[in-house]
Amino acid sequence: MKLWAGVGVIIGLELRQRVRGVAWYVLLGVFVVLIGIVTVLVGLATASFGGEDSGGWLYSLIIYFVLMLGTLIAPALSGNAINGEREAGTLATIQVTLVSAAQIVLGKFLAAWIATLAFLVASSPFLVVAAALGGLSVGTVLVSLLVLAVELGVIAAIGVGLSAILGRPLFSIVVSYLAVAALSLGTLIAFGLGGVAIQSEVRATTVQSIYEDGSDSYTCGPPTVSIYSAPRFDLFWPILSANPYVVLADATPPQFSEYGSPTDLFTGVASLVRAVQVPPDLSPEFDYCSSATFEPGPTQEETYAKTVPSWFVGLLLHLVLAAGALSWGIARTKTPARKLAVGSRVA
Amino acid sequence: MRLTTTEGIAVEGVRRSFGSVRAVTDISFEARPGTVTALVGPNGSGKTTLLLMLATLLAPDEGSIRIAGHDPVVDPQAVRAIMGWMPDTLGSWASLTVRTTLQITARMYGRDVAQAAARADELIDLVGLWELADRPTRVLSRGQKQKLSLARALVHDPSVLLLDEPASGLDPAARIELRILVRRLAAEGRTILVSSHVLAELDELADTAIYVERGASISAERVARATSSARPWRIRALEPTSIAPALIATGIPAEAIGADGSGILVSVDTEQRAAALLGALVSAGVEVTSFSPATGDLEHTFLDLQARPAEPGDGVRL
Repeated sequence: MKLWAGVGVIIGLELRQRVRGVAWYVLLGVFVVLIGIVTVLVGLATASFGGEDSGGWLYSLIIYFVLMLGTLIAPALSGNAINGEREAGTLATIQVTLVSAAQIVLGKFLAAWIATLAFLVASSPFLVVAAALGGLSVGTVLVSLLVLAVELGVIAAIGVGLSAILGRPLFSIVVSYLAVAALSLGTLIAFGLGGVAIQSEVRATTVQSIYEDGSDSYTCGPPTVSIYSAPRFDLFWPILSANPYVVLADATPPQFSEYGSPTDLFTGVASLVRAVQVPPDLSPEFDYCSSATFEPGPTQEETYAKTVPSWFVGLLLHLVLAAGALSWGIARTKTPARKLAVGSRVA
Repeated sequence: MRLTTTEGIAVEGVRRSFGSVRAVTDISFEARPGTVTALVGPNGSGKTTLLLMLATLLAPDEGSIRIAGHDPVVDPQAVRAIMGWMPDTLGSWASLTVRTTLQITARMYGRDVAQAAARADELIDLVGLWELADRPTRVLSRGQKQKLSLARALVHDPSVLLLDEPASGLDPAARIELRILVRRLAAEGRTILVSSHVLAELDELADTAIYVERGASISAERVARATSSARPWRIRALEPTSIAPALIATGIPAEAIGADGSGILVSVDTEQRAAALLGALVSAGVEVTSFSPATGDLEHTFLDLQARPAEPGDGVRL
């Protein structure tokens, strides 16, 4: 049977079975209500700041919200796709037909992806509202939607792959959630702990002004050296590139105001992540005496401009994970089976 | 034994273990087109494992299998195209209707939408599920699910049919329908392998039988010996009390004569002896209305094999 014909049959089966369930519509309804609440609250907040062109903030916040809920829902929709069917005794009845293991796994993956993307579609009215507020660039919309869709697909692929690799549906759903948590929160924790664990000694030289009694004249005092340690987050920033929220933020074209500050949440997050790439100055000199002029630090836009993007590294890692999970899943679904997982059943 | 058929099923020296559990140790047999072959054995004797190997789901550790000349390990797709499998577990897509289930299964065999719809209607008609055709499969009873499962196995008009416990859960009328259907499918030239615990059922259904015990097929000699061993016959007469004295008069000891709810039971070892005994009873003036083996052929052989485990010298091969 042609590859896509078989995949199409499986997608049809999967969407008829799962998506027509009441639970899915309830979830979709709850999701729309939540997004509605967020839209109204953010709209009120930005209006009270008197901000015009606040569409960028609202839009990026909704997209992040869809990513968050999507990563929470996708494992539930995909994490028992294969082993659930095995438990119900229906997987073997598919395996004895002309549909191949690859078609089963890919069909289940695409169906789970489609079901998750429905949540993105359901949020579209609110995205239109955000666009109407102004200040939104076409580049931000296109890139963020594309990356969001890909990231949801990655989660769906990991969930379906794990459901084929692991025997018990409950176990594979939990492991799918752990994978999502490892990427979303685990990267943040590893980054934080790593930065705090590796500290470097900073020798700061300070020159103070010494005023003579009763006059305005002063002399520059002797340089004093103080020693302290600083966390080296710059050594661990690559970990953050594996975070889906960072991938989304970093991939989206930056939008800065005329003062060099971000005008949407993606640029804000990306600027923070870019800033930690800059290593700390290990021998700073603070001369409060001779140089009278105070130089402001670089703006976020300047820091962003001189640091490197990392989104493609993170995205590539995610795609490799997804492809790996799917191909391992296909190998485990192939029949005639030689080895069986402990406690698993054939039919 | 050489694998002779390019049609039907040929199994030689098949073995399969799950870890330390040896589910199938040595099974060999042939099943020919146009016949119904019964697979008989106690629970846990490896029947379902064997069927899973025939159904291309499980690879044997050793031995060879040919389904219509194709090796299910080397070329599973060729086997799947001509093999229909009815599993012992009645898995169905709970939220889909009977009709949709059959349509999707037909699509999985590469039929287009129109062909699948037509085939689903034919099969619903064949197994008699019209009234439930548009109900979700979760509302089906066990027997109705059996019918759906059989219809699913027939979707692609297979030439080899593997039926694992097809009669369980069926009411008497449905069993008779199943028997007629399976006999008809065999008469059309299909190879049919049926496993069942309902031995009386298989007696009327099957042309030949393979007996398996602890994962191995039982030798033809042992089967022959078991078939020819003594078995109880049931005798009924217009005047039931007239039977026992007449039997004693022919020289049968009184303690060898028993009774159950529907007649007098007596153990007879050969068909010749049974015929002679019937003649003697009639000559003695007993008005015999029924004289027949109290157990079916398969049941008798099965029970005898169970009662007498393999002797050390017995070969286990056919």
